[in-house]
Amino acid sequence: MKTPLKIAIYSGEIPSTTFIERLITGLSQSGTQVLLFGVKHKLPAYSNQVTVLGYKPDRLSKFFYVFKFTVLLTLFKRHDKKRLDTYLKQQHKTDLYTKVKYYPVLWHQPDVFHVQWAKGLDDWMWVQDFGMKLVFSLRGAHINYSPIADETLAVMYSNCFPKVDGFHAVSKAIGLEAEKYGANANRIHVVYSGLDLNVLKANVPKVSTTETRFKMISVGRPHWKKGYSYMLDACKQLKDSGFHFNYIIVGGSDTIEYQYHIHDLGLTDNVQLISKKRFQDVQHLIQESDLLVLPSVEEGIANVVLEAMASGTLVLSTDCGGMQEVIRDGETGFLVPIRDSKSLAHKISAIANLQPAEKKYIRETALQTITKSHTIQQMVESMFKLYHRVLNV
Amino acid sequence: MSKKTTHILTIGLVLSTVPQYSETFFRNKIKGLQKKGFRVVLFVDYYEPEDSTFDCEIVASPHFGGSFFKRLFYSFIVILKAVFFSPKCSFRLFKLNRVDGISLKANLKQLILNQFFFSQDLDWLHFGFGMLAVGRENVATAMQANMAVSFRGYDLYLSPLKHPGCFNILFTKVVRYHVLSEEMKLTLTEYQISPSSIYVITPAIDTQFFNSNNHVTKSSIVQLITIGRLHWKKGFEYTLQALAYLKQNGIGFHYTIIGDGDEKERLIFAAHQLGILDNITFAGKLPQKEVKAKLEKSAIYIQYSIQEGFCNAVLEAQAMGLLCVVSDAEGLQENVLHAETGWVVTKRQPKLLANQLISVIKLSEKEKTAIQEHAIIRVRNHFNLNKQQTAFQSFYKL
Repeated sequence: MKTPLKIAIYSGEIPSTTFIERLITGLSQSGTQVLLFGVKHKLPAYSNQVTVLGYKPDRLSKFFYVFKFTVLLTLFKRHDKKRLDTYLKQQHKTDLYTKVKYYPVLWHQPDVFHVQWAKGLDDWMWVQDFGMKLVFSLRGAHINYSPIADETLAVMYSNCFPKVDGFHAVSKAIGLEAEKYGANANRIHVVYSGLDLNVLKANVPKVSTTETRFKMISVGRPHWKKGYSYMLDACKQLKDSGFHFNYIIVGGSDTIEYQYHIHDLGLTDNVQLISKKRFQDVQHLIQESDLLVLPSVEEGIANVVLEAMASGTLVLSTDCGGMQEVIRDGETGFLVPIRDSKSLAHKISAIANLQPAEKKYIRETALQTITKSHTIQQMVESMFKLYHRVLNV
Repeated sequence: MSKKTTHILTIGLVLSTVPQYSETFFRNKIKGLQKKGFRVVLFVDYYEPEDSTFDCEIVASPHFGGSFFKRLFYSFIVILKAVFFSPKCSFRLFKLNRVDGISLKANLKQLILNQFFFSQDLDWLHFGFGMLAVGRENVATAMQANMAVSFRGYDLYLSPLKHPGCFNILFTKVVRYHVLSEEMKLTLTEYQISPSSIYVITPAIDTQFFNSNNHVTKSSIVQLITIGRLHWKKGFEYTLQALAYLKQNGIGFHYTIIGDGDEKERLIFAAHQLGILDNITFAGKLPQKEVKAKLEKSAIYIQYSIQEGFCNAVLEAQAMGLLCVVSDAEGLQENVLHAETGWVVTKRQPKLLANQLISVIKLSEKEKTAIQEHAIIRVRNHFNLNKQQTAFQSFYKL
């Protein structure tokens, strides 16, 4: 009987973000042994296939954790420990924090060590010297803009990317971006984010109500890359043109930039900033809306767009990152150029005026796109292909 | 409330920290008041050892950090002080807070946190920012001093959005307000503050230092410049969009941004996406002499802010003979007179800014000189340190 693969998913935190957790669930359900390293917080109910090897953030827990693995490595993997310690000395990384991160990985030595965030990549290049394959996810900001503003990071990418065994790119576009830093195109594997379509089935009928206002929504943390300032400028133009609408930014509350923007443009009756909500509540709000707007200046492929498409809400996105890989303008949703509030306003107005049959067609083609390319099963299968490729099995 | 005094007037100025070298407004103000014969006591929440060189009496708030027991111990000491050293002030503060409906817990907290004020005998307790007066609305009255509050742009326009109702108690008190512009005065009156208690004292600059004698504008491309924190309220993203239009129109330029801040990544990425990163230098924070040198090498100063109280940097640029293009954010339209001492463009409209920049670039030398000269004279006459010092002297008249 073949030994199941041992895959380590490393994001630094346990649990991680929604999409990384989806990957963990998907992999574990297919019989792979998933190892999770990093700082342990409140854990969800993982299956038996998932082994949590994290540590609590307090100093005492870290100390006992390091002590345990120091003893194990000294007794049973003395040679490997010596090699790693020599490497750490050369790197001037002999502190408790480094050892608490590295020793458990060295002890367990998974087949694949999959790093989720790029900024910490150089911390993990050593795993290759111990027979582990290094896979690395290319996600949004860390690839698309951070190295442009941070030269040191760009140099680190250029040094590390050519040595990485395999890349998981969340979109074709981000794969191309990684090539600029020396990532080998043959090692880049596009794996789109997958959704659980059973959870996301539309449960709010899209029928016209007595509500005369066009209802729009955006979901996301209040970060500049989300481009909300452009959308708020578009709202002003819509308001001035006599368009009746309501716009909610979920996750945008308590952000003074947007609060002032709304106040400054006299949009307080039209725009609400609300706090971060539970996944189910967000889905409900999306389903109640006529349009989900993604005014971002940078994205990999935004999961919230996939979720809206799956649940039957029309989507308007900027043409950033990999968004055009999922949205074809006028077919599966709508696209406008980045940093262009005028285009946003025009497009919103045009969408509101579409005939019901046209809206229905777009919702259906959007759902077909999701069903075809964005299910959890497809994501897990593609990820396996990537792991198998790097392991040559 | 006012004391009949023949003695030197003592101003207690409340700031968060001792003003650093670059914070010219408060440094100039303190120096100016001392020059005019006032005694100035500076109250700060945070004090660093190097602050001891600052030429002013400083009273720092005690540190209440650390463990629960440490805080309890410090609080106990402060309460003892309140009982034995300043019983009258403490009792008055407690009573006044009760009248304002402040809960017992909040009242006791105020009593402890504000105790350090009571060590001084003051004629005026002047809060350097509106938010610094929140939770201290009755301290001046308790000390039998007059109360003054300065509002800066951020305080007046952003804090009430971030903390709704934060000035509700303050605005019921007898306070002399200092604001930076007529626009801010108007905003304050919308809170039912009597115009007679609001004094507009604009910022001022050292016109001897910022002069146009060495101004050099000869360059094959237009040199543009802005000085300011890399903060969203400075409107840099809109500025960069406008510059992208300039580039699309074939106008050669270089833009220097002096200043640092959290938004650097945002702006570098915006410049990258807009295709103008090669036309921009992010110079970071620079000492005043280097700022002056950069201004000397520039032709047009841009301040396309979203929110701005008044802006010293625009005054400095005008004094240096730069052509200034600014937004109409709050005090900026008083800082620059449209088509007289520079140009004012509606905010959040990058195309309008681009068009204005293009038309300024295309002006004849004669037209440019007329604007420059007018701006220099106006800044020298109206925004000099002497004028500001005299204005503050009148502000504190009892």
